[in-house]
Formats: sequence, C-alpha cells, structure tokens
Amino acid sequence: MTDPLDSIIRQAQELTLLLIVVPLLAAFLLASLSRASELLGRIAGPVVLIASALMAGQLWLLVQRTGTVVVAVGGFPAPLGIVLHADPLGVVFALATALMALLLWPRGGPRVREQTLTLLLVAAGSGMALSGDLFNLYVFYEIVAVVSYGLAAGRDRGLAYVAAVRYLILGAVGSAMALIGIGLLYRATGTLNLAHMAALAPGTLDGPLGLAAFTLMVIGFGVKAELFPVNTWVPEVYATASARVSGLLAGVVSKLALVVVVRVLITVFADTSAHLVLLALGLLSVVSGELAALRANDLWRVLAYSSIGQLGLVAIAFAVPGAPGVMAGLVVALHHLVVKPALFLVAESWGGPVSQLAGAGRRSPWAALLFVILVLSLIGVPPFPGFWAKYLLLRGALGQSGLFQVAAAAVGVATVVEAAYLFRIVRLLYRADGERALASRPPAADLVPATVLASVLLVAMFSVAPLGVAVDGIARRASDVGAYVQAVFPAGVPAAFAREAP
Amino acid sequence: MQALATDLELLQTVLYSGAFGLVLLGLYAMASHRHLVRILLGLTLLEGGANLFLVAVGFRADAVAPIVTPGAQALPMVDPVPQALILTAIVIGVGVLALGLALTVRVFEVHGTLDVRALAQRLTQAGEATPEEPSPAPPVSVTRDAS
Amino acid sequence: MSSRTFASLVFTLGLGLILASVMQGLPLGGAPMQVGQAIVAQAPEAVGTANIVTSVVLAYRGLDTLGELTILFAAATAGGLVLSGRRPSHATQSQAGFILRTGAGLLFPFLLALGAYIILHGHLTPGGGFQGGAIIAAAFFVPLLSRPESPFNEAVASVIEGAAGAMFIVIGLLSLTNGGSFLEPLLGTGELGELFSAGSLPLLYVAVGLKVGAELAGLLVHLGGLGEAG
Repeated sequence: MTDPLDSIIRQAQELTLLLIVVPLLAAFLLASLSRASELLGRIAGPVVLIASALMAGQLWLLVQRTGTVVVAVGGFPAPLGIVLHADPLGVVFALATALMALLLWPRGGPRVREQTLTLLLVAAGSGMALSGDLFNLYVFYEIVAVVSYGLAAGRDRGLAYVAAVRYLILGAVGSAMALIGIGLLYRATGTLNLAHMAALAPGTLDGPLGLAAFTLMVIGFGVKAELFPVNTWVPEVYATASARVSGLLAGVVSKLALVVVVRVLITVFADTSAHLVLLALGLLSVVSGELAALRANDLWRVLAYSSIGQLGLVAIAFAVPGAPGVMAGLVVALHHLVVKPALFLVAESWGGPVSQLAGAGRRSPWAALLFVILVLSLIGVPPFPGFWAKYLLLRGALGQSGLFQVAAAAVGVATVVEAAYLFRIVRLLYRADGERALASRPPAADLVPATVLASVLLVAMFSVAPLGVAVDGIARRASDVGAYVQAVFPAGVPAAFAREAP
Repeated sequence: MQALATDLELLQTVLYSGAFGLVLLGLYAMASHRHLVRILLGLTLLEGGANLFLVAVGFRADAVAPIVTPGAQALPMVDPVPQALILTAIVIGVGVLALGLALTVRVFEVHGTLDVRALAQRLTQAGEATPEEPSPAPPVSVTRDAS
Repeated sequence: MSSRTFASLVFTLGLGLILASVMQGLPLGGAPMQVGQAIVAQAPEAVGTANIVTSVVLAYRGLDTLGELTILFAAATAGGLVLSGRRPSHATQSQAGFILRTGAGLLFPFLLALGAYIILHGHLTPGGGFQGGAIIAAAFFVPLLSRPESPFNEAVASVIEGAAGAMFIVIGLLSLTNGGSFLEPLLGTGELGELFSAGSLPLLYVAVGLKVGAELAGLLVHLGGLGEAG
C-alpha cells in the first residue's frame, strides 16, 4: 500500500518537471499554432503562463508539507544523472518568473516570435531556479541569455541592435569564462551535481583553485546580474529596448542569474572566502551604478544605472554568510523584482532628456502617483517594503567585520544619492510651468501592470510580519547545506563516490 | 612507470597551455580589433579554447575513446562526460554566433558601418542629447515601440 | 603600436598571468572521474549504446540535450525576429558557373545520405543528431547558395522544426505517463552494437537531427537573405 505522502511527493515531482516542460512545449508549438488559428495563437501564451503560475503555487504548498522535493530526471540517480531540486527558494523564483512574464507579456499585434521567446524565458528561468546540477544550470542560463539578446534587439529599431550586439558579445565572453570555471570545478571534484560537490567540498575547494573557479563563474553569470565589471551593456540596452523587455531583464533575468551564483556559493563554497569576491563586486556595482545615475540625463538611463546599484545591493546582501544573508538578499531581490519593472512601465513614454519631464506629472496624475510610491520604496522610506529590505541588508552587513562595514557605509551613501536623483525627477514631474513639457502620456496598457505591481508592494507593506516569517523559513532552508545534501542523497553519498585522494 | 607519469604531466601541461592560449588569443582578438565580424571570430576562438580545456580535463593516460568495440573491453576509457558537455557547449556557441551574425547584418544595414568605436559613439550621442537644444525630431531614445 | 593594441596586450597579459597561476594549482595526473568511471562501467548494460558519449548525452544528461535543442530554437527564433525588418536585397548576384551549379546539385543527395547515416548511427559510432543535423542543413543550403532563385519552403521547415522538437518532448513525456520518469529510455536496451538497440534513444536522435537540420537551414536562408522575406 503506497504511503499517501509518497503520492504527494510524486505529484510534486511531476509539477517540478512540468514547470519546465509545459512552457517549453508551448514555445515549440506556438508558431505552428498561430499559423493554424490566430485566436489560439494569441491566447495560448497567457493560458500557459497562468497554468504555470498555478502549478508553481501548488508546488509551493506541497513543498511546505513534504520538504524539499528532488527529481532524478530520466530515472538515473544522482550523481550520474541530472537532478532537479525544488526547495522553497527555487519555487518562489519559478512562480515570480511566470507571473512577471504574464504581466509583461508582449503586446501590440501578433508578435509570435516575441511571445515564443518569452515562453522560453519562463521555461528556462524555472530550470535555473529548480536545477541541482551545475552544467544543467549553465545550459538553462544560456537559453535565457539567447532569449534576452533577441528580446533586447527586437525589431525595426536603430540603436537597439547595437546595444544588443554589445550585450551579446559581453554575455558570450562571460559564458566562456563560466564554462572554464565549471571545468575547473569538475576537475577538482569529478562531479557536476551540486549536492555531491557540497559533500566533497571541504578540503577540495578551499584553495586558490576553488576561488578562481568561483570568480570565473561570478564574472560569467554576473553579466546578466549586472555586476561590475561586466555591466557596461546595461544602460544602452535598457535605453533602447521596450519597457516590458527592460522590466523582464532587470527584474527577472538578473535575479535568476544571481540566484544561480548564490546557490553555488551557499552549497559548494560555504566556508571559504568566496563570499568576499561577491561582496567586492557588489560594492563596486553599487558605487559605480549610483554615481553614474547621478550624472545621467535621461530617465531610462537613470533607471538603468539605479538597477545596477540595486543589484549590487542584492549581491552584498547575499554575500553575508549564513541564513541572515540569504534572507536579506531574498527580500532585496524580490523587492527590486516588483519595483523596477513597474518603474520602467510607468516611465515608458518619459524618455529623452530629463528636462522634458517638467510638469508631466500634472498631465498624468496616476502615473506620477505610481512613480512616487515606487521611488519611495526604492529609496527605502518607511513604511514601504524597501525600508525593510535595506534594514535587513544593513543589519546583516554590520554584523560582519572588515569589508562588510565598508559596504554598509557605501549602502548608506548610495541611499542618499538615490534620494537625490530620484527626488530631483519627482520635483520635475510636478513642476507648475508645463509649457516645456514635451513628454507624452503613458499609455493605459502600461499603467495597468504597473498598478498591479504597485498594489503588490502595498499589500506587502501591510503584511510585513507573515511575510517576514515566510522569508525567514525559506532562507533557513536554503542555507542549510546539510539538508540540501540530505535531500538529494537520502541514504548518504554512495560509498563508490566518496572521495579518494587524487 | 616513472617516466610515464612525467610524460602524462607534460602532456597535460601542453593540453592546458594550448587551451588557455586559445582563450587568451581569442580575448586579445576581441579586445584589439574594431571590426564587428573579427570580434565575433575572436569569440569563436575563445569558445574553442574553453571547450578544449573542458575536454582536456577528462584525459587519462593510455585510455581509448569511450566507444564499446568488441575486443577493447579491458582498456580504460577517457571520461565521456566532458565530451557530452562540450557537445552542448559547441551547439550553444553556434547558436550565439548565429544570432550575433544576424545582429551584425542588421547593424550594417541600418548604420552602414561595423566599426565598434563609431557605433559606440552613436550610442553615447543618443544618450547625451543636451536639454537646451530643441530637437525638431524626437531623439532616438524616445522612439520606443509600444510593446 | 596604437593605444588600443597596447591596452589589449596589457589586459591579455594580465589574464594570462591569472590563468598561469590557475594552471599551477591545477592537479595533474589522473582525473578523479567519479561520475565518468561509473558511467563507463554501467552504460553498456543500463542504456545499451555502444557509443558511451551518446548514453551520456541522451540518457544520463537528457535534460541538457533538451536544453541544447532549445538554445538552437531560441537562436533561430531570435534571428528570425531580428532579421524580419529587412528590406529584400536588390543586389544582383552574379550567376554561378556551370560547374558550381551542377556540382552543388550533385552534392545534395550525398550530403543527405551522409547526414542521415550519422544521425542513425549516433549510438554506435561518433556522431549523432546534432552533427548529422548540421550536415543536412548544409545539404539544403549549398544548392541554394549556387542557385539563389530556387525556392526554399520556409513553412515546411518551420513545421518540421516545431514537430520534431515536440516529438522529443513527447517521447520524454511518454515514459512519464508510463509510471517512469521524464526522459527515461523506453523499449528496453536490445543488443549492444546493433542498429536497432538502445530503445528509444535513436528515435530521440532522429528528432534532434530533423529539428537541427530544419532550424539551421532556415536560419542560414534568413541570414543570406535568400528565399522569401521573413
């Protein structure tokens, strides 16, 4: 007689797989489907995304009951085969990816190719969040990369191609670096399974080899995570792509890339000095991003540089060792995931020199109100959720010594700088003399998803306590390396794969 | 056996140096050339070097290819996993290169040049449109397509 | 020496030093090969392919191969998106010579046969769906290069592409519905070294070959500005 828990586990395993496979299948068939029937082609994407979101929600509930769910793809046990590892952290990001793709769905005509690419983004993003194998993570990351190069270029735009080419070249260099890092790790440990590596890590990856491998991977995955020094593509791509694409890239893709880095950091490099690499790069991103935002003259570039700065904050947060770091990083990341796409949507038609925005707030009051709310939360004004994000970050950083203290100081300075350039824009929006206001009104179709995101923010503001408990639970589970290994190898690592000296 | 061990180490050093050398060559090509297609070619070299490194990781002394042939059962085989990995990596490289070339074609059609420096100048010019000049046509950065 | 060349040299030398220090720390001698060793030992019986790399690609790491397919699909879709705004090129292409035209036409069946052979024998000898698919794409593209005016049916290529990709996933899902796991090899292993062995794996490679062939051919046609406008 089968244990009822077994059937729940089986269901959770199937859901984990379907989260990746269903959007993938839909993407493969979308072109033929829309050729057969235009109506079907139009609704297929959103329907699949709603189904994905529901599946992710269901998986979340199941995982709370059963603990982390592990799927051995193809029936081949770890570490021979690839395993998917569905813990609350991964499920949260899979859910967020599906929902954001739904909110930022390409609009304006059939757009079959853009929709196909967005579906692929959801499938591969779920893979990035849920996979437990290093090379598998790399493959899903590359899918997301190619999709983002394509979406960034779009069609019929003059400078978007140039920005996209630079993005592609930087991204490809990063990928080659990441591949070398993966090769180094494979040479040192002989496996690609993250849990197996975590079991073998103590003593293997402490030295310069492990550190070099991690640095290469951070640079590689850091291209999408907008980390210094590989983030030179950011301002141009966000300035030339559409608001929805910029929102997807800045909001979702960057977080997924950082989650991969953090996964590797937490499981494989737990007690090494690899944290400092992430901290240093995050610190440099914050400093360079915020200073550049201060000097930028175009709202889209301001938002792009601000995005670099915020992602530096996420990196600093995740660099704090242990569960407090994961919790701080998770809150900052989710906060930015909600706020930045909303800002891009609101600012869709507010491009061009900043002076053109004078009085634009009076002509579109709703958009200006949304902008003010989002900006207040971004800066970290209480009681908005952004305040809690920065608070957790500072508390975590101040609890550590050395470079972390410098980082905490930098976060403080960065907040002041953010307030300076963001309030300058808000003041411009509400300026009384509207005679030089050339900016057009934001279209309603963009304001609706922005309003949805802003209301998510406000709901979060009123439910800080339960959210805090939930996030704390996620962080504790995610930073528990022993539990990670236990989930993948319930009976312990098989003796045949235990370490022998090389 | 002693000489064999050092031979293996020498061989591996040569392999790794070759792979890293390709990587460095590719990076140098990408950094020093200004023509977009040459930069993409440098990228191909870089990826080739990375793939070579990955295969070299799986090397074993006196081992054969991992194909089961009658009579060769007893010999040790090289690691099949990196070979499968670079199969994927090569295909990834092809995909990225194809997309890069598509973008290059369009960049040339729209801008008439493939000189990276000239293109970068156009990007920064669009971003630094000074506020004092009333622009008769909206600056390029404003022409976003509502999608 | 221009400043750009100098800066690149400095950058490359710096990176070279880093890589050299990495090589110092790189352990020489036999690789640990934990996973590789086990696969080499188990694969011939567990999976049934003579080419062990194929068993890794299609069985042990089948999800990676699905991802690989997806990347090509994403690149082809993105390429189609980027190139869709093109104006059809009015550049007159000089007529290819008689030898080139005839030769390219003659190559077509041989390339097709070679590609099909490599795909079908992927589980026995080095090769497989990707390599064979690339050759098939070339088989369609080379005659098109010499004879730009010959029609290339894009709709058919796109349908093949989508259907083959779906076929891969469906075969994977079939084992899921059978109570097994996604992408678990079906149909038993058969006899090692025979053409009909390794269960459903050759079918997977056929799907891969068809998809890659159709995809690359379409992408090349788009890039070359040949065929109908995207």
